[in-house]
Amino acid sequence: MTLSRGEVDHVAMLARLGLSDTEKDRLLGELEAILAHIARLQQVDTSALAETAQVGDLVNVMRADVPEAPIGAAAALRNAPLSDGNYFVVGAIQGTELDG
Amino acid sequence: MTARTITALAAALRDGSTTPRALLDAALAHVDRTEKDLNAYLAMTRELGEAQAEAAARMLEEHPDTASPLCGIPMALKDVLCVDGIDTTAGSKILRGFKPPYTGTAVQRLFDAGAVCVGKTNCDEFAMGSSTENSAYGPVGNPWDIERVPGGSSGGSAATVAAGSVPYSLGTDTGGSIRQPAALSGVVGFKPTYGRVSRYGLIAFASSLDQIGPFTRTVEDCALVYKAIAGHDPRDSTSDPRAVDDPLASLHSGVAGMRLGIPREYVGEGTEPGVRDAVQAAFRVLEAQGATLQEVSLPSTDVALSVYYIIAPAECSSNLARYDGVRFGVRVERPSVTDMYLQTRDAGFGNEVKRRVMLGTYALSSGYYDAYYRQAQKVRTLVSQEFETVFEAVDAIVCPTSPSVAFTMGSRDDPLSMYMCDVVTLPANLAGIPGISVPCGFVDGLPVGLQVIAPRFEDSRVLRVAHAYEQATDFHAKLSPYASTAA
Repeated sequence: MTLSRGEVDHVAMLARLGLSDTEKDRLLGELEAILAHIARLQQVDTSALAETAQVGDLVNVMRADVPEAPIGAAAALRNAPLSDGNYFVVGAIQGTELDG
Repeated sequence: MTARTITALAAALRDGSTTPRALLDAALAHVDRTEKDLNAYLAMTRELGEAQAEAAARMLEEHPDTASPLCGIPMALKDVLCVDGIDTTAGSKILRGFKPPYTGTAVQRLFDAGAVCVGKTNCDEFAMGSSTENSAYGPVGNPWDIERVPGGSSGGSAATVAAGSVPYSLGTDTGGSIRQPAALSGVVGFKPTYGRVSRYGLIAFASSLDQIGPFTRTVEDCALVYKAIAGHDPRDSTSDPRAVDDPLASLHSGVAGMRLGIPREYVGEGTEPGVRDAVQAAFRVLEAQGATLQEVSLPSTDVALSVYYIIAPAECSSNLARYDGVRFGVRVERPSVTDMYLQTRDAGFGNEVKRRVMLGTYALSSGYYDAYYRQAQKVRTLVSQEFETVFEAVDAIVCPTSPSVAFTMGSRDDPLSMYMCDVVTLPANLAGIPGISVPCGFVDGLPVGLQVIAPRFEDSRVLRVAHAYEQATDFHAKLSPYASTAA
């Protein structure tokens, strides 16, 4: 199993991890070793096997359609790094990517 | 006194020889004395504990006969369990200062029973690890030898019981994170059937595998705590609505006539000779109690590790997407939102978490999904089917909990060698079945654990087999050097 540095860059971006070059180099080697170990999975004949997404036998679990008191804005915002009134504050979405 | 069992302390509270407040103070004082060596806690909850001790004293005075055996007993919670207004970090820098706006169901059930919370225990970051060395707040010392790890990820919860600071604690088990540290720290640790204990208020790592369970000194105590936390919760859609049978009713029924299976693959060459000897001696004890032992086979044990290291990272990469610096946790300010995400997550997550988020994102990414994630889900079915086949022939499985005893800190810096720690515990998570670790001996002064596994919803059977073994031996009664000062 070989992984390219380009793939590591791509996956890091998908995962929104701003890794340094040193970290990416280290992860490249570590992920290659783990993927090489995991490769034995490909040897298993799974043609007759269904997928297990969950072990329970519960399906379509619904609660009664009865309104409950929400947690409230104050409690929901209590842990926000930055808030204003009843809002979470983040930088502009149309930031540097759309400039120019 | 805090090194005694829940059962003993419950009696002492009722005969007037102690009070909930005295037990809380003793627990906090013992933590004070031992914490510089153990680092088992991330936060002490003295104020909450004092209020709970006062309420427990009233409950015991007004209703001594109907009060729960847990009423007035000090306990500790792994720091992935949310308590309203109490710092909860999951062992991560990214949640430094986070105070949950609500209390999780399992914890609330204990609080309602009169539990007295002493503190939040140290753990591997987001419960990812087998040694507690991945905590952003430093490793935990094993009370039997502080140069060694207590196991993980619930290392703080295991260590504080092993050190005699509290008679019980809660941990979580995604691939062995209760059973393996219980084995390495010489205490009892139980992972119930998936769906038996609500995950509401548990910070998610891998939602199809995570389960909350207790650490205790004895199996009877374990049954008491399990009974208090188990049962349906509408706030967790994977919580099972089936009635929970009383684990205490069959606890003393013994193993006479029971058929116990020893999986050939679980005592293979990867098992340390000392562990193998201790576990084989345990098999003879069970035989002497009237159980019939036979060899069984779980051929996919080897690939189960690979299944786990795709499914758990895949679910973790999805669950941990919420740590984006917007609603909670720390934020690294940057003018653009994307840069803010990238820098916040880089600064907030430790190496193991990044490794698993990367692995999981890769396994779920376009072009690799079928080969990795879907294939792992199919082989997961095979792992479950093999357990079902074995359980047609035997009532329960007995085997080692961990292939090794507690290892020296820093000795497993290669991720794969650390992942091997869970090779005999994680199959039970993949199949959603219950498993327990009970002390079964020592190798050079370091504890060994015997694991008992049973079919889904046969939690009482797991406890019954473990109890029968425990009653025939005295390994559980041996105290670590730190616990003997709290006896």
